Amino acid sequence: MSCVKGCKMAKKVYLDYASTTYVSSEVLNEMLPCFNAIYGNANSLHSFGREASSIVDRARDRIRNAIGAAKSNEIYFTSGGTEANNWALRGLAHAYSEKGKHIIVSSIEHKSVLDACACLEEEGFEVSYLSVDKNGLVNLGELIHLIRKDTILISIMAVNNEIGTIQNVKAIAKIAHDYGVIFHTDACQAVGAIKLNVQDMEIDAMSISGHKVYGPKGVGALYVKEGIRIENLIYGGSQERGKRGGTVNVAEVAGFGKAVEIANRDIVINQQKLRSVREYFLNAVKERIEYVEVNGHQMQKVNGILNLFIEMVDKESLLMLLDLEGVAVSAGSACTSNSIEQSHVLKAIGCDDERANSSLRFSFGKNTTKQDLDFAVDALVKSVEKLRSISALTKAGRR
Amino acid sequence: MFNERIMQRFVNPKYAGGLRGANGTGRCGNSECGDLIKLYISVNDDNVITDAKFKAYGGVCTIVACDVACGLIEGRSLEAALRTNYYQILEEMGAVPENREYTASLAEEAIKNAIEDYYKKKEKELKR
Repeated sequence: MSCVKGCKMAKKVYLDYASTTYVSSEVLNEMLPCFNAIYGNANSLHSFGREASSIVDRARDRIRNAIGAAKSNEIYFTSGGTEANNWALRGLAHAYSEKGKHIIVSSIEHKSVLDACACLEEEGFEVSYLSVDKNGLVNLGELIHLIRKDTILISIMAVNNEIGTIQNVKAIAKIAHDYGVIFHTDACQAVGAIKLNVQDMEIDAMSISGHKVYGPKGVGALYVKEGIRIENLIYGGSQERGKRGGTVNVAEVAGFGKAVEIANRDIVINQQKLRSVREYFLNAVKERIEYVEVNGHQMQKVNGILNLFIEMVDKESLLMLLDLEGVAVSAGSACTSNSIEQSHVLKAIGCDDERANSSLRFSFGKNTTKQDLDFAVDALVKSVEKLRSISALTKAGRR
Repeated sequence: MFNERIMQRFVNPKYAGGLRGANGTGRCGNSECGDLIKLYISVNDDNVITDAKFKAYGGVCTIVACDVACGLIEGRSLEAALRTNYYQILEEMGAVPENREYTASLAEEAIKNAIEDYYKKKEKELKR
């Protein structure tokens, strides 16, 4: 690649698609007119408003279709997955608090669920944290054991953001309903990766996000099945059926709707491609670097995420060296990796501290090429060799 | 996240690697906590540290703190090296994120442990 002035621009490879994606051109084209041509307030009665409103309606319909919801008005737009998760946990818990104050979540949920739970605990709710096995799967027997008479909500993510494990959502939802408990799932990593059908999977509430599927950042949605009560999130407007006031961000919502529609439309081809990308990368890494293991489930996981334990190297040092080589990866969830806090997900699947300290997440996108992977593997080989040559851990000291 | 000085040193650490003929080794930290340091010194008959090297398993600041520590003690007498402290290491590193400041005290501990190890070995030698 070279820049306009003829100088050589260093190649860069992005392998952090699970953190966020770029906005695809199809999505961008859907959004652009909403900034200056269709600029009415979607809640205004005049033609400008009605035009904007029709765009918002279309986006809602697209999302309804993609997730198999019965009605479009079961979709509430939010500012993203974190807001949707916060709202689901807090809004459902408070709406059903007369029935009970007990909630069950898995121990590998995203921080937006875990921190919302911590807040609920301070407000007098009781939260049980369901353990997972070494593959990251929740134990359904343990789930049944944890359900009590006063359990009102079970929230378990569909796909884990760090290791990619896919939960048996339908089975979990069935168990929840057998005991009369509401089931919410954080599906931010699941859209476009696995087929979602909220009716078939018996999901009562589901969070999704735009920027994981080549849509814009700052927009997401909470699906709430008709008949399920949820407390209002923002007061001061009739938007989102009065539950979340505030002028609708038409451009973002339009892009989000389009992105989810495309993700669903291209799911098979994208997943086939991502599977071969991941396999190519993993084989190349294993061939050229010793002492590398995969964290999480070997089979029941999304194709775009690969979490690797690379022995004898520290994740932060490796991440920084790779970055200097032009390869962007993640030391876990972007929401926590700014701190030296260890991954709660890797700890929950039984990784010891050293393994958690030496694991990195590689995540691939629909435009990742073989050249990108070769470039990344070369950089990884170089960086790992460098760090191992100065590591205080030795092969002799391996478990 | 890290200043230019730290990044420069992280990419090209001057004192990284093993030290043949080292007569003092300071270990500190453990891999479970995310940092394991081995600091090697070679001390001559005049009690001067002629060479210092390190090996580290840890983050960017851990590696840099060790590199700085080796630089501060190389060429100095054991007595002077023992006075090397956390603040001197931090100062050399420049602005360090608060949650990484502990790496300087790990490096200080490694120096002390290496010198202690040297004295222990020396004592054993004399008893023989």
